[in-house]
Amino acid sequence: MTAELLERLIACIGSLLVGGTASWQLRNELPLHGLDAQVTKLLLGLMIVGCVLALLASLNVLGAFA
Amino acid sequence: MFAYLYLRTAAPTWPPVVDGKQLPRLDVAFGAMNSIVLFGSGVTMHFALESWKHLKKLAFNFWLVATILLGIGFLAGQAREYMSAQMTWQGSTFGASFFTLTGLHGFHVFAGVCFLTVLGIQANRGVYTGSKYFGLVAGTLYWHFVDVIWVLLFFLFYLW
Repeated sequence: MTAELLERLIACIGSLLVGGTASWQLRNELPLHGLDAQVTKLLLGLMIVGCVLALLASLNVLGAFA
Repeated sequence: MFAYLYLRTAAPTWPPVVDGKQLPRLDVAFGAMNSIVLFGSGVTMHFALESWKHLKKLAFNFWLVATILLGIGFLAGQAREYMSAQMTWQGSTFGASFFTLTGLHGFHVFAGVCFLTVLGIQANRGVYTGSKYFGLVAGTLYWHFVDVIWVLLFFLFYLW
């Protein structure tokens, strides 16, 4: 197993794990009100987008193709 | 960031050609892995705040330490990226943009790690209570913001 394949594997599993957990946290935050809750929802949503980008990059769908 | 967007779209080839040779692209696999380390720290920080809200001090300390360690891990990854980068700050617009923007972001991560360490010390010394913990909320929001800025930088430098 090459270092790059290992990095991609970690990124792939990690993005599913982190993205899934962040989605669950976002779901728990949805009924909450207040400025900090709204900002948290926005930032968690953007973090999920980041996880999707990392997942697609790890699968060689986005970025420089290896 | 807008200057980078201008430079990126105005250049005939990207990464730019320096001394007749095109610069290599950044290591996407490593960048994705390091990004997940930072995003993971956002999740652990959220758990830390939730633990504090539910008066679970032991869990709060565990998740806060995990966040700090992941933040340090991300900084170590950035240091490795800098050492292996085949470009210099002054050598090209790509290098100048990359080191300036990711360096500034890295400084904010470092500041965040220091900030969270201070918050952890304060929390354990009884500065915050079960109903008064704005410092912890502010720290969590700051850390999420640092995460989200990296989403944009990761896309711009590694994926686009």
